[in-house]
Amino acid sequence: MHGPDIQWYVILSALLFATGALGVMLRRNPLIILLSVEIMLNSANLLLIAMSRLHGGEDGQIFAISVMAVAASEVVVGLGLIVAMGRRNIELDVDKLRTLRG
Amino acid sequence: MANFLVWVVWFFAAFACLASALAVVSFSNPFYSALALIGNLASLAVLYLVLSGEFVAAGQVLVYGGAVMVMFLFVIAYLGDRTDESPWSGGPSWQVVGAILAGGAILAEVCVVVGLKAGGLLSKPQHIDRSFGSPEALGRAFLTDHLLAFEVTSIVLLVAAVGGVVLGSHARQETDARA
Amino acid sequence: MAAASWVCLLLPLASAIAIALAGTAITRRVAGYVSTATTMGAFVAAIVAFADMAGKGASHRGTATTSWTWLSAGPYHFGLTLLTDQLSIVMMLIVTGVGSLIIAYSVGYMDGEDEERRFFAYMSVFVFSMLLLVQGGNLLLLLAGWGMVGLSSYLLIGYYQERESAIQAAKKAFVMNAFGDATMALALFLLVQHTGRLDYAGVFAASPHGGAVANLIALGLLGGALAKSAQIPLHTWLPDAMEGPTPVSALIHAATMVTAGVYLIVRCHPLFENAYVIEDLAAGLGAATLLMAGLIALVQTDIKRVIAYSTMSQIGYMFVGAGLGTYPNAMFHLMTHAFFKALLFLAAGIAIHAVVGEQDIRKLAGVGKLMPFTKWVFLVGSLALVGIFPFAGFFSKDAIIASALDRGWYGDVIYVACLAGAFLTGVYAFRLFFIVFTGEPSAFAREHFHSHHGQEGPISMLWTVGTLGVLSVVGGLLQFAPIWHLLSTWLDPVDAPIAEATSAQEWVTSGLAIVIGLAGIAVAWAIYGAKRIKVPRSLPLFEKKFYWDELYDLVWYRTGDLVSRGFYALVEAPLIGGSITAVTGVVGLGSRELSVAQNGLVRSYALALAGGLAILTVVFLAVR
Repeated sequence: MHGPDIQWYVILSALLFATGALGVMLRRNPLIILLSVEIMLNSANLLLIAMSRLHGGEDGQIFAISVMAVAASEVVVGLGLIVAMGRRNIELDVDKLRTLRG
Repeated sequence: MANFLVWVVWFFAAFACLASALAVVSFSNPFYSALALIGNLASLAVLYLVLSGEFVAAGQVLVYGGAVMVMFLFVIAYLGDRTDESPWSGGPSWQVVGAILAGGAILAEVCVVVGLKAGGLLSKPQHIDRSFGSPEALGRAFLTDHLLAFEVTSIVLLVAAVGGVVLGSHARQETDARA
Repeated sequence: MAAASWVCLLLPLASAIAIALAGTAITRRVAGYVSTATTMGAFVAAIVAFADMAGKGASHRGTATTSWTWLSAGPYHFGLTLLTDQLSIVMMLIVTGVGSLIIAYSVGYMDGEDEERRFFAYMSVFVFSMLLLVQGGNLLLLLAGWGMVGLSSYLLIGYYQERESAIQAAKKAFVMNAFGDATMALALFLLVQHTGRLDYAGVFAASPHGGAVANLIALGLLGGALAKSAQIPLHTWLPDAMEGPTPVSALIHAATMVTAGVYLIVRCHPLFENAYVIEDLAAGLGAATLLMAGLIALVQTDIKRVIAYSTMSQIGYMFVGAGLGTYPNAMFHLMTHAFFKALLFLAAGIAIHAVVGEQDIRKLAGVGKLMPFTKWVFLVGSLALVGIFPFAGFFSKDAIIASALDRGWYGDVIYVACLAGAFLTGVYAFRLFFIVFTGEPSAFAREHFHSHHGQEGPISMLWTVGTLGVLSVVGGLLQFAPIWHLLSTWLDPVDAPIAEATSAQEWVTSGLAIVIGLAGIAVAWAIYGAKRIKVPRSLPLFEKKFYWDELYDLVWYRTGDLVSRGFYALVEAPLIGGSITAVTGVVGLGSRELSVAQNGLVRSYALALAGGLAILTVVFLAVR
């Protein structure tokens, strides 16, 4: 393998995942939350690709492609919801959406 | 020599990756966050190339960067500039402290788990040939070993497309009603 | 003969059941006749059994018949066994004989209310229970009869249910007797543990000789005897038991039930002889009781209470006899006491019945002038009580006193106590006689005296009292200790005495007793009869019955009250109530605190997800 060993990729992937998680937990704008979720998915993809390279099989890359497809679908639905919220002039702040309370 | 070059490239890409991820989380303007995410995706594509996943790298740029992010930017533009408070304002609250702790814990745990559980397997990278990561190899894998995953993914895409249309059509009916 | 014993036992039971089942279909008179007839039938059956027994040789007289095995548990078998031997036949004759006379008396004495069907049923139950007690072939049946006579006593003392004082007295009697029952039961447990059986022959052969266990067994039995016979310290219920109708006082609390304690000691004398200390204790308590009761009787103003304390005192004599070991004399005194004490109660009952139920002797004063027959029979009873020759008490009481000399220095002390008691008996008995039956009638008596169709009372009352009067005169002739011993000879195979006075001692004692008794009578005459001497001021000690009631109230009631209040304050409210309150409080608190987490904020739910993921990863790492 050219370049860094697998540990570097593991650490990088973990850092990315933690960053994405922080974004989900700390931001109030649903758009930014969706972006953070994308970061988390990408970190997982990175690790998959790295492991695939380590083991010499394409299974990891297959999985990564599937993840990409699913992430795209999820973004479609999420953005559709956000647009619907915007159309109804609901404030784009997850702290204001409290009907789950109780 | 070539290895050294790869290391340099790797470092740049990794640095860009992390910086852009932090930028996504930190900017208060969602437009800037989206742009930062594009940067993140691009640096990830570079990393994929380093890992001999050419097709995946191409797919990443095309699908993520070309489609998903464009969609994001359209929506952000549509919804206007509703600035959000940056999370680093307002001092450390329960949520912030808890989030940082949880995030740090997950970070540590991922490293530890992978290290502990896969220890022996991580030390010997396999040799690969030129066709590793090529479209033919992936295509063959999709249609033979991972046919189920292929089909299921396509169904998921179909469902998402239908869902998007439905969500959008409601919106259109409303605007028609209001108009 | 065995059949006669069973008939004797079961007739009163049949009567009780019949009266109970007949309910309101019969009148009270019919109930009274049924009860009387069955008790008399039982008496006849007892005589048949006695005659049959007398025909056999002296050592073949006891027969035990078992109808079926009542209790069978592991190695222990207790049968429904009736033992008819010399001792039990004496008791059977007394119980059924005196009992039938008293029940016949009560047909005339009671008011005539329909409610009295219950009374006669209870009387029959009592007779049955007493017969079960004396005929029981093992200690288990004795205990059963023991408890049932306690029940009958409770029912009959509280017969006048509307009277608060009667109910309290009934409860008091029952509770004190329950204490005695408990000690007896404990003694029986020890016996079963150490001998494995409860029938008399087996137990007497196998029980331990001396040592702590024997003492405990005897002490437990003694506790029951003390409670039933109203001796110190379990005596306070007897005066209060006078709340019951007069026939009840006569039958249960004079003639039969209260003597069950004496019967117990005499029957179980081998067990007591194994524990000399306890036997001496019984004698000592009897002596103390006879003195104390005599002193209290000097100041009582209720006619029935005087006679009740007299009963307590005379049973003290019987306990002295049984405790010293002169069993036949104790039984003899039991028999004569049944006659004259029942006589005294029933005669007093005639007076009470004639003067609208009044029992205060100051109000009844002088009624003897209006009721000569009653006066004479009461005099006979009193003389028998004091023990003047030739009346019954003379023969029996002096024999007991004399035998005290056979027991060393302890017996000598008891001897003196008994003679002092004889003096007191003379004083209080004749105080009663002189106040109530001599002198001018009081205004109250004159005003409220009602004769019954020209006679002093209904005929049923008069003939029964007369019969008892005759028995009080001749009953003592059964045995004159220095000369002839019919009863002792009869009882000898069953209860050989261990203390016997010599002839000389008997004569001396008899002489002394007569002199002392007459002295007592003289003192009473001087104060109350001829009124030569002023009535001495009574001591509050005597009037307050030596403060026993106050002592028990302090020790048992107040302590129990304090303890229960303490438990309520310290345990019930904070611990038990508090624990339940704490449970609800904790649940409420916990749910209130946890509901903070349900705030509806998506971000905090995301944080919870991430935190949970972090924790679970650690858990899975640690476990696997």
